[in-house]
Amino acid sequence: MRIFRILFLKELRAYFLSPFGWLILAFAALMQGLILTATLKNFSDQAQPESLVFLNFNSPFFWFYFIFLFPVLTMRLFSEETRSGTLEGLLTAPVRTWQVVLSKYGAAYTTFALLWIPALIHFLLFTSLTDIPPPFTWAEVGGAMTGIALMGLLFTALGCLASALTSSQIIAGVVCVGLLLVHFLLGLIPSQYTSQLDAAPFFDFLSSQNHMQDLARGLIDTRPIAYHLSTTAFVLLVTYHLLDFRRWKP
Amino acid sequence: MIEISSLSKSYGRHKAVDQISFEVARGEIVGFLGPNGAGKSTTLRMLTGFLPPTSGAGRIAGKDIFRESLEVRKDIGYMPENVPLYTDMRVREYLRFRGALRGLAGGSLRKRLGEVMEICGLTSVRRKMIKTLSKGYRQRVGLADALIHDPDLLILDEPTNGLDPNQIRAIRELIQNLGEKHTILLSTHILSEVEMTCNKVVIIDGGKIKAADTPENLVNSMRRAGRVSIELKAHKNEVEPLIAQFDEVTRVVGESMSNGWNRFTVFAAPKTDTRLKLGQLAQEHHWPIRSLSRKSGTLEEVFVELTRKD
Repeated sequence: MRIFRILFLKELRAYFLSPFGWLILAFAALMQGLILTATLKNFSDQAQPESLVFLNFNSPFFWFYFIFLFPVLTMRLFSEETRSGTLEGLLTAPVRTWQVVLSKYGAAYTTFALLWIPALIHFLLFTSLTDIPPPFTWAEVGGAMTGIALMGLLFTALGCLASALTSSQIIAGVVCVGLLLVHFLLGLIPSQYTSQLDAAPFFDFLSSQNHMQDLARGLIDTRPIAYHLSTTAFVLLVTYHLLDFRRWKP
Repeated sequence: MIEISSLSKSYGRHKAVDQISFEVARGEIVGFLGPNGAGKSTTLRMLTGFLPPTSGAGRIAGKDIFRESLEVRKDIGYMPENVPLYTDMRVREYLRFRGALRGLAGGSLRKRLGEVMEICGLTSVRRKMIKTLSKGYRQRVGLADALIHDPDLLILDEPTNGLDPNQIRAIRELIQNLGEKHTILLSTHILSEVEMTCNKVVIIDGGKIKAADTPENLVNSMRRAGRVSIELKAHKNEVEPLIAQFDEVTRVVGESMSNGWNRFTVFAAPKTDTRLKLGQLAQEHHWPIRSLSRKSGTLEEVFVELTRKD
């Protein structure tokens, strides 16, 4: 646990003792602000059937920048160590491979989680600065944040996997975007069919959009939780073995 | 300290290391020599647990390098080839991180940081980013990293690669000083360095061990080591049979020089010295001598003799 903490703090410092983490944070805050402004514009134009939280986290803008957060956060993690050779120094120190994988994953996920502080502040400001009744409830905010936390688990893990596959950051980033796009688009397949598709329940089960629509209404289902936790564990296991592969007896 | 028995490593069909065995005793400084691609780095990587051996076994301080990798790694200070470092960390910050990974903390970590930075001459650059350091300083950071937990065994992969002569001298002196307390296995292809620092040499080529001995023994047992050359003012036909009658002499080649002088090259068995006998011979026959010398081999010649492809 001591080793894990040292590695985790080192990775977290790599994000926030360089401009890198702050740039992502600024980018996320900017996008969250823009989307909130756009959603509020919708509200001022006409009456909306859904809450501010729902529209905020289900707009196409949201998905567009959300998917691009992960390659930026994770592409460096393993590929840079492989390229520069520091992986050799790291793995010949008395550390276990799972400590390396989990510390990097944990630091990336923690950074990801911190990106949502501005969004929370936006909603807090809305209730404290305006005297109109807020067009959302805190349960909806909690649901949406649960959705973001769950998707973050899986998507960060996929980013780690992509980074462990290659020694090039660019390729790692492209592979990560590719994996996330495929995952996202799989959920859109049923909407391409006019008639009822037999496999529709399967695609709906995978669909990030579906999960987010339920959760942003404050409806917390155990299925998406089980789905995200189990796939995350699986992807991290694959990442672990990718990294430990050179230690396999050939 | 290190015992390796028939250790092999294959990459697909290519055998990088082929059934090598050698031992390093506690307190020795061992030079691990070989041309590029001979399998030096692969062997060191197997010892440090970065790569698993395909077959064979190795033990460091009695612990198996594959099964007890984590324990073994605690005893080793390893400086990989080209000294990979986190370039966006500061020197002290980096060494602090590496020391913490090695289980040092609090006061003992701080004390040890001061010591290794002092030993490696890093105190003046401790606040600098590693990416702003010159190659020589980076090499020293790598060495400080390997030393931070005061390991019994230091494994250094080409520690002086790419340094200027002054820096090489500084690192060599550092290694000599460290050798008083640590066992050191260092790979290199700078032979003069090995002659000066190491008390044992292992030469590897094509994944196989060609020689393992002290530098002196290697030089003395060279094929060309016993060769003596003598310049006399005498007739070739008269001298050659007289020299050839000595037991250790295998062949005599005479060549004419100007003014009646002849140079004779005497091929003799290694570890012999025919100079005295030749001198006496010349005295008995009253041949004027102008030069008499024995060829003393260098480690470089040993290296070339053992690893030349022909």
